[in-house]
Order: sequence, then structure tokens, then C-alpha cells
Amino acid sequence: MNEEQNISSSSDINAYLWRNFKAGDADALGQLSKVHYRALYNYASKFTPDPDFIRDSIQELFLELWERREFLSETAFVRSYLLKALRHKLIKESVRLKRIQEHNQVLFDADNSDLSIESHIIEDEHTTYQSNRLKRIITLLSKRQQEIIYLRFYQNLENEDIAQIMGLGRQSVSNLLYRTLKEIKEIWHPAEFFWALMLIYFC
Amino acid sequence: MHNYHSYTVEDLATDEMFRSWVIDTTSENSAFWNRWLNENPDKAGLIGQARELVLEVHEIYKDDLSPEMIDFEIQEITRLADLRKREQRNILSFFAHPVRRAAAVLVLAGTLGWMYYSGQSLKTETASAEAQPTVSIEPMIVKTNHTDKDMTVLLSDNSVATLMKGSSIRYPKTFGERNRSVFLTGEAFFDVSKNPQKPFLVFTNETVTKVLGTSFRVKAFDEDNTVMVLVKTGTVSVYQKTEYESLSEKTEREVSGVVLKPNQQVVFIRDQNRLERGAVANPNLLSESSLHRELVFDEKPVTEVFEALENIYGIVIVYNAAILSECVISAQFNDENLKQRMNAICQAIGASYDMINGEIIINSKGCS
Repeated sequence: MNEEQNISSSSDINAYLWRNFKAGDADALGQLSKVHYRALYNYASKFTPDPDFIRDSIQELFLELWERREFLSETAFVRSYLLKALRHKLIKESVRLKRIQEHNQVLFDADNSDLSIESHIIEDEHTTYQSNRLKRIITLLSKRQQEIIYLRFYQNLENEDIAQIMGLGRQSVSNLLYRTLKEIKEIWHPAEFFWALMLIYFC
Repeated sequence: MHNYHSYTVEDLATDEMFRSWVIDTTSENSAFWNRWLNENPDKAGLIGQARELVLEVHEIYKDDLSPEMIDFEIQEITRLADLRKREQRNILSFFAHPVRRAAAVLVLAGTLGWMYYSGQSLKTETASAEAQPTVSIEPMIVKTNHTDKDMTVLLSDNSVATLMKGSSIRYPKTFGERNRSVFLTGEAFFDVSKNPQKPFLVFTNETVTKVLGTSFRVKAFDEDNTVMVLVKTGTVSVYQKTEYESLSEKTEREVSGVVLKPNQQVVFIRDQNRLERGAVANPNLLSESSLHRELVFDEKPVTEVFEALENIYGIVIVYNAAILSECVISAQFNDENLKQRMNAICQAIGASYDMINGEIIINSKGCS
């Protein structure tokens, strides 16, 4: 995470790589790809459990950019642009290859159904006791809510980028995020006493 | 410095400085946040929640992608990009020549005319394929030896890898422009064709072995505490993977790493993270396989010799039996490698060979 930030914030190196990439230097493509590879792989793994399919899709994504290198604007190597393009590719390919049956196992998909978290929890029997842990709450969220939480707090993207990636309006993203966080907080009992112990240990 | 006083849980959980403390704690960032907490004890609950949010989200969504896999995929992307560039250039330069352009038009016109008369369109694809020299983009091949016997793997540059039981190798169907990279888990003996322009690189989890043309063995099972590289002929450079990567941008790889001469070995000790050089302790490890010893041919048709090699190595040798029918050889093999044996046989009958798609193809005009 830190390394990525350093690379993308040092604009000199970026401009240099971008120039070489445009000029057809395959190593520059490699270095640009390396900055984003893990983020892309991680995101893709939430759509399909098949690592070969993921590797092929990411490879194809970068090679398509390579072939269009003369026509690209610099935004092509921004993380949100790449995530969006990869998401589109994965969903399109999954439909084409009729990987529908896998949809039950994946975390995110293009499905728009969006039940509130309570309805999931009500279906569950031993809710009252265990459901106060954050991990459990998040896995009970709808696929779209999970994706938003993931993009916001794992990939650490701004609402505007999330809107682009998921193909939603910016307002819908902030509404959905607000609602999701509110829902989470209503049932989440943070591990505060544990935290208090940690503090004593640190100080 | 940010004013963290007004921050919410969400603000903190998306703040770069806060996140780096939670995910990648160092003495500096924990000093900062502990001080801040001492000054703002009322924020402890907030900090705790943001911390839990970041940690739990990472726990749920983490992946098992190793840095080695990323490097390998990046190499693969650059290799394919190179190939595609060459392909584009080939097509362009082919048609840039005025005579060829005219010829292409003629081929097309001829094809159309021929189609018109013959009334079938099946052959058009072949005709246009001939007009455009296409380099197909080759996928990676993975070979895993699940058998008890050694497995012979033929690479596109005429190099031979002999894969031991339980080992796995990943390599491109055709190597790229810059280097020849393979990815090994387990143990293999390599007999590498000489090509100083294109180094041959064997990647394991912790080491990179670089050669220009030689024979050597790499032993890197995941469950072992060591990675071993043993050299039979030629010169081999062995690097720690992390070191090799840090050198990659500077193209100064020649200066570091351990250089091995024949009959030397290097052992990488995983838990101590260091390379140790020495003499080869077990000379048996310096041949492709112990099963391939002793083979005597006395005035035998060369086709019979090829059949014997096919059986021993489990490979396919493609040749024209009619053309080779007059070729007879006498040979005695002891601990020669497959490549050495092929070289000796082909030299004796005035032929040459290529390794294409995992098969050995014999080029010969026959013997008379």
C-alpha cells in the first residue's frame, strides 16, 4: 500500500514511465502494471474464485491498453479507471462463459437487489449473540453494500471513484454508504474493552 | 498536520496516515498515534472502532497472491507486449515495401478470382494468413510431474528441463525477446542452449538463477528449508530474489549474486535468508537422471536409436523414416544428457534438430 502511494505521488517517475509506455517500451508497461497488480487481483477475486480466469483477465486488460497506447489519456493508469475496466471485463466474460452458477459463491456481482441488513440477520437464528462482531456483520451485507465497503475501506477510494467503478451516481454512492455505515453501527459492538487493554499495554 | 479532532470513524479509517499505522505499524507512526491518544483520551473509543474497521475489512478481503506470482505475471505481460509489438511491426514493414504491397493485392485478386471459379470459399483464410505473418500470442504452459519417474520437458529454445517427482514448472510456449524465464517449484535439472543475448532465468520462491547456456540443477521444494543450485557445466549466477529485484531497474545485475563454476553448489537457507557456496557433495545430482545411464548402439539404424530415446525420456521425436532409412550409427552413451545425445547423433548423420511444441523435430537430407 505504501509503495503504491509513493510511486503514484512521485509525478516525475510517473511522467517518465508514461512517456516510455507511449513510446512502446514494454518495461514501462510492466512497471505501470506492477503498481496496480495486487489491487486489481484482489478486486477480481471477489467476482470469481478462478485464479486463472483472473490472471487472464488482468493480462488482457493491460495488453489492450498497450495496443491502444497511442490513443490513451493519462487517466488510463489511475487505479479507479483500471478497476472499472476490469470489473466490466469480468462481468462481461462471466456472462459470456455462462459462469452463472458461480454467482452464488462470489462476494460481489452486478446484481442490483439490495435488501437491508436486518432482513439478512432476521433470517439467521443465532443472531442476537454473535452478530455484534464487525466481520460477521459485513459478510451479512448485501453484495452491493459489501462492494461499497470494500472499495471505500480496503481499496481506500473516494466516493466519486466508487461511483465510476460501480456505474452509479455519486449521490447514490454516498446515500448507500451512509445507510450501510448506519446499519452497521446499529448492531456493531466494537471490541472496546479489548482496545482499552491494548492502550494500557502501549502506554 | 491534520486536525484529527473532528474526524469521524469513517474519516480515520480512510486516512492514509492512520491506515499505515494500523496495517503496517512502525515505531514512528505508533509513537505519533500513542502520543495523540494520550493527549486525547476521549477519542480512544473512536480510534478503536476505526482501527477495528480497517483491520476487519482487511481480514475479510485479503488475498493469497505472493510477490513471486506478481513478478511472474508482470514478466508475462511485458513478454506478451513485446511479442505484440513485433507482430505489429512485422505486418507494417511487410506491407511497407511497395513490391510486396503490390504482391499482396495480386494475391488477394488471385484469391478472389480463384474463389469465383472454384466456387468455394474455404481456402480464403489460408490465403490471407499467408499474406500476414502473424506471431500468435502464446499462453503459459504448466507441467507437473505426478509420476514416480523423471519427466523430460522440451523448451522452445532447445533447452531441456528434467523434472523430478512432485515438481512443477511454468514456462511460455515461446520465449520473449529479452530473456528466457521459467518458474520452478520442486527440483529440476536444466540443460540450457547457449544464447548470450537472451539469459535463461530460473525463478524459485527465494532465488533467481541466471545462465547464458550451461547445465545445472535447481532444488527448491516448498517444504524444504533450503534451495540448492548445483552446476555441471558453464557459469551460473545465483541471486536472492529480493536482491535481484532491487537490481532490476539498474541493470547492474552482473556485479552481485554468487557466481558458480562447474562442480560448485550454492545453498540458500530459508530461515537465515542467506546464500552459502561450496563444492557439490553428491555427484549424482550433476546428471539429468540416474535412470538414463548406459546405452550402447552398435551399427544400428538411427530410427531405432530415436525410438529408444523416445521410450527412455517419454518424448516424441518427429522424423522422416524414409529419408533416414540409410542412416546407421554406433554410439555409446554413459552420463550424457538428452541434448548431448541428440547433438552427437545428429552430428554423426549430418542432421540438425529443433524443439517445437515439446517435440524434437529432425531436419535431415538423409545419408548415402
